[in-house]
Amino acid sequence: MKKKCLFFYEEDQGNYVKDLLEVARQMYGENFESYALVINPLDVNVISGFDYLLAVKDQRLKDYDLINITSLMAECQQVYQFDAVIVLATQLGRMLSPRLAMRLHVGLVADITAIKSHPDGTIEMIRPAFEGKLLAGIINDGDGPTMMSVRPGVFLDQQSTAKIPEVLACQLQTIEDTGMRRISQIRKPDSRDIRESRVLVAGGGGVLKDFDQLDQLAQALGGMTAASRRIVDSNKADRTIQVGQSGKTVHPELYIALGIYGALQHVAGLNKVKHLIAVNTNIKAPICSLADIVVEGDAAEFVRKLTTRINENKQAE
Amino acid sequence: MKIICLVKFTPDVDQFQYDYEKNILIRENVKLVINPDDACALGFALGLKKKTPEVVIEAVTMGPLNVTAMMADILRRKVDLATILSDRQYVGSDTYATSRIIGKYLETADYDVILTGSHSRDGDTAQIPGQLAEYLKLNQISQIRKIDQPSMLNKRALVEVDSEKYLETYEIPLPAILSVGRESNYRLPFVRYDDLDLDVSDRLRIIDNDSLAVDSKKIGLKGSPTKVIKSYPIDYQKKEQVIVKNDDQGIDMVMAFLEKEGYL
Repeated sequence: MKKKCLFFYEEDQGNYVKDLLEVARQMYGENFESYALVINPLDVNVISGFDYLLAVKDQRLKDYDLINITSLMAECQQVYQFDAVIVLATQLGRMLSPRLAMRLHVGLVADITAIKSHPDGTIEMIRPAFEGKLLAGIINDGDGPTMMSVRPGVFLDQQSTAKIPEVLACQLQTIEDTGMRRISQIRKPDSRDIRESRVLVAGGGGVLKDFDQLDQLAQALGGMTAASRRIVDSNKADRTIQVGQSGKTVHPELYIALGIYGALQHVAGLNKVKHLIAVNTNIKAPICSLADIVVEGDAAEFVRKLTTRINENKQAE
Repeated sequence: MKIICLVKFTPDVDQFQYDYEKNILIRENVKLVINPDDACALGFALGLKKKTPEVVIEAVTMGPLNVTAMMADILRRKVDLATILSDRQYVGSDTYATSRIIGKYLETADYDVILTGSHSRDGDTAQIPGQLAEYLKLNQISQIRKIDQPSMLNKRALVEVDSEKYLETYEIPLPAILSVGRESNYRLPFVRYDDLDLDVSDRLRIIDNDSLAVDSKKIGLKGSPTKVIKSYPIDYQKKEQVIVKNDDQGIDMVMAFLEKEGYL
């Protein structure tokens, strides 16, 4: 019998949700059916790649109403008996998945970076652990579905089929009044995403004092600035540009790592980076072993020198 | 108004040293620190208490007894009551078992609101607030960067949330679980000099499983549905690399590379 996988579908994250099909493939090969659950979709016709679509239309159900969304998913679990529930670790997904796991009385493995299927059918989920120094293989030991969350961009949908899903009727049986309301929602002005940049100029602890200067180099290379957790924790940069386990997973063609040590939490955020240049006073820092070119020295000084050189070159042309 | 703040103590990951000779992480003597997001939540509660003295704050943590000194430190910052849930049977609990233990305590506790941090710095799983909210059947929201003080006292909290693309404001009836992020910039106040050695032992409670009585089959390693079966070393993919100095020659090399690969 085919395995059944449930995916929670957020419309503005559609491609990232579709990437999660790769997780199911790595678990079950082709022996699975995929079910995407979407709430009050604007347009179901753009949702593709899944076998079935559970499209719930109920204006009482708000996108932030986690209590009722959890009830809805638990009801779907009752009906379909999914073998796996896979949630994209967006802000909403990160609040929803623990709540749903508790409702279903199952364990939850957050932010997996790899997955393995054992010959006996055991699913092993792999995530960074022990402060990012090791990877831990974790199993879900108990009844109920295997539940996990996955950061956007960690798995990439290799098949990208345009399969049109069959729409299945789905309705929440009883809705609870949670009393919670959204009063306002303002779009942030600069919403350019580091995940879409071809070149990233990223800074870590080694450029803490000079982080502002990275922008000039990023501009000279037509890329964007990114930051490690150290920088974000020190309030030098916004969390939206953080790379790593607690930030974003990026796959630029060129990644320039400035004063970044390269702990696993950071490296976990680098996926299929084509070229990497590492600048560090400590050439034994783990990031250097990933680099095509290692520059031994002060990263801030390197930024000034390289920016000047690129700009001189441009003027000479 | 009674506020419960959930706090966790984590190793200060920035203090880790790496032994390059032996290729191991040196974890000895690494200080435990209050999880930064949790400190923000506690900072907000203490700010509210400063303006509204009738606010009562209880800090609750689960962990080994070596956190006692840090909980005493929190009490010296004007928190009213500190509770440590500690039992040898709790060791090895995953987030599911942990939420059930803390949830069992909170079920019987008195509160108007529960404040937590959004993320934990060590595991970065952000699971406990959501799991607890489900256990207690409460609304919960993460990534809060501002809580309106008067609205808290009126039992309908107005919170500003920093999501990836939007700034949002929500109204949430209390009790609820409000999870504060680091962007909030709420800070823990310092301990007053006079209070540095203040005896706070009468306000610190340790609760073990004899009194909490969570089903022993549902706690610790054996009561945790997720189990670590294996650990893997980090597989840094080694590249053929060029090492250069940060001098003109080095910059030449980098420029040539950028040119060749089409980045200029």
